[in-house]
Parts: sequence; structure tokens; C-alpha cells
Amino acid sequence: MTKKVNPKLLKEIKKYGAFDISACFNCGNCSAVCPLSKEELSFPRVMIRHAQIGDKQSILSSLEPWMCYYCGECSSTCPRDASPGEFMMSLRRYLISEYDITGISKIFYRFPYIQNIFVIFIFAIALITFLKFNGDFGSLAAKIELVFPFYITLYIISYLFIMYKKTILDRLKKFVVSLNPSNIKNMIVHGFTQKNFIACSEKDYVRWFSHLLVMSGYILTLIISNLHILEPLKKQYLLFTPLSVLIYYSSLSLIAGGSVMIFRRLFKKGQSSKFSHSTDWLFVIMLFLIGLSLFLTYTSNIVFGADSNLLEIIYKINIAIEISWILIVVPFTKWIHMFFRPFAIYLNGLKKENSQVIVEEI
Amino acid sequence: MSDNNLNEAQKRVGVYVCHCGGNISDVVDIKKIVDEISKYHSVVVARDYVFMCSSNGQSLIEDDIKNMGINRIVVAACMPSLHELTFRNAIQRAGLNPYLYEHINIREQVSWVHKDNPQGATSKAILLIKAGVEKVLMQDPLNAIRVNAEHRVLIIGGGISGMRAAVSSADNGIEVVIVEKEKKLGGKLNRDGYVYPSDEKAVDIVNKFSKKILSNPLIKVYTESEIINIGGYVGNFDIKIKKTDGDIDNIKAGSIIVATGFDHYMPYDGEYGYKKSDYVLRLKEFIELLSKSDGLEFVFKGKKINSIGFIHCVGSRQNEGIDAPQADGKVNEYCSRVCCTSGIYTMNKLKEKFPDVNVYDVYADIRTYGMESESLYEIASKHDVIFFRRPLDERPQITFEGDKIKITTTDILSFNERLEMEVDMLVLLTGMKPSEIDDISGYLKLSKSTNRFLQEVHPKLRPVEMNINGVFAAGTSLSPMDITESLQSAQTAAMKSAILLSNPDIPLDPFVAVVDEERCTGCGRCVEECLYSGAVTITEKTIDGNIKKVAYVNPAMCKGCGACVAVCSERAIDLNGSRLSQFEAMIDAIVKE
Ligand SMILES: Cc1cc2nc3c(=O)[nH]c(=O)nc-3n(C[C@H](O)[C@H](O)[C@H](O)COP(=O)(O)OP(=O)(O)OC[C@H]3O[C@@H](n4cnc5c(N)ncnc54)[C@H](O)[C@@H]3O)c2cc1C
Ligand code: SF4
Ligand code: SF4
Ligand code: SF4
Ligand code: SF4
Repeated sequence: MTKKVNPKLLKEIKKYGAFDISACFNCGNCSAVCPLSKEELSFPRVMIRHAQIGDKQSILSSLEPWMCYYCGECSSTCPRDASPGEFMMSLRRYLISEYDITGISKIFYRFPYIQNIFVIFIFAIALITFLKFNGDFGSLAAKIELVFPFYITLYIISYLFIMYKKTILDRLKKFVVSLNPSNIKNMIVHGFTQKNFIACSEKDYVRWFSHLLVMSGYILTLIISNLHILEPLKKQYLLFTPLSVLIYYSSLSLIAGGSVMIFRRLFKKGQSSKFSHSTDWLFVIMLFLIGLSLFLTYTSNIVFGADSNLLEIIYKINIAIEISWILIVVPFTKWIHMFFRPFAIYLNGLKKENSQVIVEEI
Repeated sequence: MSDNNLNEAQKRVGVYVCHCGGNISDVVDIKKIVDEISKYHSVVVARDYVFMCSSNGQSLIEDDIKNMGINRIVVAACMPSLHELTFRNAIQRAGLNPYLYEHINIREQVSWVHKDNPQGATSKAILLIKAGVEKVLMQDPLNAIRVNAEHRVLIIGGGISGMRAAVSSADNGIEVVIVEKEKKLGGKLNRDGYVYPSDEKAVDIVNKFSKKILSNPLIKVYTESEIINIGGYVGNFDIKIKKTDGDIDNIKAGSIIVATGFDHYMPYDGEYGYKKSDYVLRLKEFIELLSKSDGLEFVFKGKKINSIGFIHCVGSRQNEGIDAPQADGKVNEYCSRVCCTSGIYTMNKLKEKFPDVNVYDVYADIRTYGMESESLYEIASKHDVIFFRRPLDERPQITFEGDKIKITTTDILSFNERLEMEVDMLVLLTGMKPSEIDDISGYLKLSKSTNRFLQEVHPKLRPVEMNINGVFAAGTSLSPMDITESLQSAQTAAMKSAILLSNPDIPLDPFVAVVDEERCTGCGRCVEECLYSGAVTITEKTIDGNIKKVAYVNPAMCKGCGACVAVCSERAIDLNGSRLSQFEAMIDAIVKE
């Protein structure tokens, strides 16, 4: 079958970051050095080529972008300085916007300042409303936090469904699932340990460690807010309890990890920090602020007591930050990738099990 | 030198055996050779050395001549074309006649071809050296032939190579005559548009040289003129030039530089759609079109051009059975070397002028060799030119659909998928073919390579010299070159010619035919056999008061091929340095064992 070359696709993908990728002359060095590229899932060169010739079909149905953890080894090796690692990152942004039925991702990724404005706007509206609110803020916060898990789950399910559709359904033209235990186990292991990340960034321990800190802090914070674990206006907390350890760990690791990441971006340490899409900036700054406000909320509860006015103000700020974070940031920045990665691994297993069918289709 | 009169006992032979690093000694038993040869008759000394051609090796020979009275030399080493001259010069430095020397090739003819049989190789080397000793014992001292030289060079072709050669020759104080068949000097650079790597207008380069040429009193230019005959020999060429007005000028020249350049490849009708549509152009045509196109949009013949395809290697790097043969029945197997760089340079120019035009490039290999040209390739990528690599044995297909041109190709970079692209214009990167100079090469008997370009004597050691003494070639008459390379080769040719003409007379190798006038019957068979007209002729001579017809050899024109020797029933003609009697002695030495 003959494919039609379409020069528009690359121009489109470039809007998501990959500014240097035109320079690529397909030597394949990047794929050769990539520690995660495999024979059956080879990248980044293959992906770059799909983009250059405008093979949108192949891009949309590929799982390779999710296998890349952006260690940047490809970019340091590229003889043309085409930044293939950044291209893979941009491809993930591109795919997310393609998977997002609301179209919001597309706007945020391509016009990042709009996202920044929204974050500030939502935060400001929420904070003003809260400050004016004289009723029982503890109960209001409980209701707000109840909405979070629904919102996030809905978003993730819609993303993953479209991903399933583009990578499996559209190619096989039929609905398949895999109940193969090793396949499911693989997905779970990768989901919790992100173990390929360690393979990828072996040599960059600072990055690996800060990543680990932030990731665990991030997930715990998501759990804390989504399950409404903390009720600082209703309960008096103590300096040392199992809960306090949880709070200290998640908030401090966000503060520490976030600071390291901000520092690395500022001074451009390592390949993955060379380029900063402004959604990346937003992301690390938000992490830092969430950690900080969570920490301050908890400690002022201990110091000033559950009925202190100062605590209430700090808690209102904390919830306002959470709202703009959950609504505007979580579904649209790169940490949503955490959910795509294990699913991509599952889909890849599924693809392999059905490879017979795919071959016949072609 | 009274060497002729030495008796056998006075001839003292020195034999020098070279290891050539290990090229020879790894196979051949050098010690055995030296032992055995030093016992051979007339051999006074036999030595070996790791690199005989090194200055230490050469002084071994020089010292023996001075201190031991050695007066015949045999060197057993690599092929004579590499170092015969080296040793001849060494011998001359030591005060001996440089032709009392024999060179035996025990590398190409022994060690390299008999790796599997070292013993046999050693015996063969010994035999060859013994034969060499016999030959050199019968060698008479010779003297270089000297011919008077006209202090003038004829340059055929006034392209950039011819112009450069003219200026360099005149700078050396040599008179120059340029003959150009077109109206103007400049050749293919008389065109619109720019050239890599200097990024200047082609005609600006031409004008720079034209100015120098027209203001130089040593240079005479014939334009719209044709050479209708060339006779004579090195130092004394006779040239007939037919001018525009039909008049004929006769000139004499000591040397000739052929700078007749190349012709643009012309696709046959329908090759990649050429001539089937106005929108299929050759690179040369596109360069000129682009330099004339301005404005916000690229419009050609009323159509807005949004996308252009470029196809590499049109008329070059052809394969038998895939591409249609040329007029002579063969395909052009060579690479034209400039079309990749020129084509990509032109794409960049296009993208700078009209950034929105989509550019597709279908290549087999990108040959933008050289530092600066490689960066042109990188810039083209950054301009979003999309490159497609076809397999060597496939050709992109061109079809026409409405006012669109469709290119279909297999793309190696895309995992051998079949891809198609629609373009508004197609540019064929047509390269070079040798210019039609059968007349010139016929007058001068120049050899040509299988690619029909002129053939130099040796691509590395003698890159601008032709097989005929006193004739040089420059620029693209030799092979595809860009301007920089053409200029370099033209300068080299000019220097070679200047060195040749720097003496009032030119020294030539004395290995030519000589006639024994007493034996010669004037039958003329040698004249019939001789390939070089004028080298041997029949003249009348008074010998002992009688007028006799005898053969006469013009040593400047004789190539020393020996064809005449083979046909002379009287043994009246022989070759200096390779006499029949010498060969007989060599064969005797070999069969004696
Ligand atoms: C499409 C294309 C683009 C190119 N672009 C570039 C570029 O950007 N940069 C670059 O460096 N190089 C470029 N080149 C190469 C460049 O054109 C050549 O290197 C250069 O023109 C060679 O000059 P020349 O004098 O050897 O040959 P020519 O230019 O061919 O000159 C030969 C001259 O000899 C004359 N002649 C031929 N036969 C006779 C005869 N029998 N009697 C009298 N006169 C005769 C011809 O009329 C001509 O004037 C390009 C080549 C091509 C094909
Ligand atoms: S190493 Fe660079 S130039 Fe080579 S294929 Fe990868 S991105 Fe392209
Ligand atoms: S960033 Fe790392 S994981 Fe991603 S493609 Fe490059 S080398 Fe592979
Ligand atoms: S220079 Fe390039 S286009 Fe020209 S013949 Fe050689 S490989 Fe082909
Ligand atoms: S040299 Fe020999 S062949 Fe030539 S004319 Fe004399 S006799 Fe005849």
C-alpha cells in the first residue's frame, strides 16, 4: 500500500515542543543508544520518521512514546542536535491532546500561557470565594474534595479509552482484552515502580532520587486530597502519629523534590531539563506550592489549634491551590503520563497476543 | 664516459634487495637471495635493506658507487613506475650514468602473487635478479634526448579551468593561446544564479578571470574558433585554428592543456517526465529560473508552485538493465559529484526565498562531501526539506495527474514503505557527461577512461598528465569536479606545463628505437607497423658516397613501444635500453638453471 506524504504533521507536532527535530537525518544513533528501545518497540528514530513523512495513522496507534522516560541519552548522542528526547516528550503531549475529547489539552499545550492564566484565575476565584465564606469551611472542603476523584477518574478513563481505540480498536477492528496474568502483573509492576525509569536514568542519581521523592509525594498527596483524609478544622492533630508521618513525608518530599527540579530547570542540568515547556514550569512550581501549603496547614493545626483563624486562612489557601491543581494541572501536564505508561505496557502485551490478526490485516 | 669500452672484468655489479617493510620479506627469503646473488658472476656486492627507497637506502647505493667502484646497479623492489626515477637520481648523484641500472619487481610480480608458495617465490626472485644482472651488464650508458621547445602553451577550452590555466601559465611568463568554440569565455559558468561554496554569482567568477586574461599581453584569445588539426610533438606542436571569419591561423606550441570541460546531461524525452510537462526541469534550468523569480509567491508559467520534488542522480550512477543506455550503448556509471551539493545548495536558496514551498528530495546517497557542503545538507534539513532514500536498484516513478506531478518511491528511511507525494514542479539533478571532443582526442591520440572522460596517466601520481608527452588536461574534461577542484587541477596542469617549458630544451627518456643504417634495407615495414605517425620515416641518406633509403626515427615522437623491432627481418632496428641481445641474455640466464 502506498502512503501519501503529508508535510503538515511535523509542523503540527513541532507546536508541542520538538523545535529541533527537522535537523534529524535518520542516522538511527538515538535508537541505538536508547536503553529502553527494543527491537519490537524501536524508538525514537522510527517515531521521528513517521512524523517527518506525516504518517499520522502510525503515530496515533503507536505505544512507543509511553515507553520513553526521557533520560535524554538520545539527545546527547544525536550528531545533528535534533533533540530526539524532547521530540518524544512532545509526541506524548501531542498524543494526549489527540486522546483528549474535550480539546482542552490541545489549547493548553499549544498556548501554555492560557493554562497559566487559568490556574491563577481559578485559584484567585476560589480563594476570594473562600475568604468571603463565613460558614462551616471544613464541611465545604469535604464536599469539594469529594468531587476530585470523580473528576480525575472520568478524565483518565476517557483518555485511556481513546488510547485503546486508536492503538487497538482502530487497527484490529474488534474489541479485545487480555486477561493473561503476566500481562496484568506487568502493568501493575510498571505502574507502581515505574521501573524502566530507573533503567533509563541509571547515571543521573539526583534526577532519579528527586523524581522518586516527588512521585511518591505526588501520589500520596493525590490520595490525601481525593480521599479527604485531612480535616484540620475539625480535628486536633499531634506532632507524631502515623498520619503525621504520612503528611510530613508527602509535603516535605514535594518541597524538596520540587526545589531540586526548579533548580535543575533554572540551570539546565541534564538533557531532560534543557528544554522547559512552560507547562513543565507550571508543574514543578505547583508541586512546590502544594507541598508547602499542605505542610503549613498541618503544622499550624498543631501549633495554633484546630479553631485558629490563621489556620483557617492557610487551609483555605491550601484548598484553593488544590482546586486549580486538580482541575487545570493534573490532567494536562506530564504527570498524567504515569497512568498512560502502565496502560501502554498492557496494550503492548495485548497487541503482541493479537499480532497474528494485525499481520493479516496488513 | 668511456663506459662503452669496459671489458667484462671491469663491470662491477651491485645488487640491492628491498624488504618493502614486510611486503616482500614476509614471503620471500631475503637472506637466501643475497647469499646466492653475491656468488653470481660479476656481482661485487649484494645488500638488503628494509626500505631501499628511503634516504638511508639510497645512500647505500651512492656510497658503494663512490667507495667500491660499482658501475652497474640492480635494485630488486616494488614496481618500477613507483621508484625507478628515485634510484636513477641517486645513481646520477653518485656520478654514474643513470641508465646503467636495472629495476627488478619482486613485490607485485613475486611476493604479492605467490604468498602461498614462499620457496617458489624466493627462487623466482633469484632468477629475475640474475636476469637483471645479465641485462645491466649489456647496458650502454644513455643520454636523455633533448628537443627544443616553443615557449608557448595552447589551451583548448575557455571555461573556468582553461581560464585559470591561462592566468597561471602567463604568471610563469609563458605565452598562452586559448581556443574557445563559444562566443564568450566562462563555459558553464556563463549562467544566472549563484555557486557554492563561495556563494557568489557564477558570472562574477568568470568576470574576475576574464579581466585578468583580456588585460594580459601574454594571452591571446580565439573565441568562436575551432581547432582543425594538431601535429608535431612535445615542445613543437603545430596547430591549425579556424577562426570565425573562416581564416586559418597556424600556431606553434610547446605544450597543450586540454580544458574542454563537460556537457550538461540531457534526459531523453520522457525520462522522469522530462519534456512531458513544462514543470519538469533540469537542475541547471531550475537554478536560472529561481534566480529570476522574486516576490511573495513562487509562480511559474501562471501556476503557483507550492511543492517541488528533486530527484538525484539523473543521468549519473546509472545501472545497466535499469537505465536506458547512452548513445555509445553504455550507461553512465560514474557519479557527477556536484549535483548533490549544487542541488541541496539550490534547495536552501529556494527555501530562503519561498519558505512555504514544500520540498521533497529523493536520493540514493547524499554526497555533499567536504566540510562546508555537509553543513548545506544540515541546513536543508533544518529548512524542513524532507529526504527520501530510494534503493540503489530502483527508480522513482513519475506520473501526471491533472496539473500535479506524482512521485512514487520506495523509501529506505521509512522501513521500505512505498510513498507518494504530489508536487507542482519536479527538478532533475542532472549531472555531467564528457564533452564531445573526438576530433581533439583524435589529433592527439589521447586515451579515455571507460566513462569517456579523458584518462590521466595515474590518478594520484600524475593526475593531469596525458599519455602523450607535453599534453595535460584540466578540470571537468578529466572527470566531474566542482569549481574549486577544477581550479586546482587547472593550476596543477599549468605548473606541470610550466616546468616542462622552463628549459630551452626538453629532456626525454632515451628509450627509443635506433636504426642500424648499415643493416637497414629501407623496406619500410617498420613505418607501416608504427602506431605514432611520424615517429619512424624512410629517408635518403648518403652512406659511403652512395645514396641509400634508410629508416629514420624521430626520437621526440617515438614512444619506444618496439612494434618496429618485431617486424624488422634485418634486425636493423632496436630499442635503446631494451635491446634484443639484452633480452636474449636474460632468457639464457633464466633457462640455464
Ligand atoms: C547543474 C550544475 C550545477 C553546478 N553548480 C556548481 C556550484 O554551485 N559550485 C561549483 O563549485 N561547481 C558547480 N558545478 C560544477 C561547475 O560547473 C564545473 O566545475 C565547472 O564549470 C567546470 O569548468 P570547466 O572549465 O572544467 O568546464 P566547462 O565549464 O564545461 O568549460 C569548457 C569550455 O571548453 C569549451 N570547449 C569544449 N570543447 C571545445 C573544443 N573542441 N574547442 C574549443 N573549445 C571547446 C566549451 O565551450 C567551454 O567553454 C555545477 C555543475 C552542474 C552540472
Ligand atoms: S540521532 Fe539524531 S539525527 Fe540520528 S536519527 Fe536520531 S534524532 Fe535523527
Ligand atoms: S529520552 Fe531516553 S528513553 Fe527516551 S528515547 Fe531518548 S534515550 Fe530513549
Ligand atoms: S553527486 Fe549526488 S546526485 Fe550527483 S550523481 Fe553523485 S550521488 Fe547522484
Ligand atoms: S629498420 Fe628494418 S623494417 Fe625498418 S626500414 Fe629498415 S629494414 Fe625495414
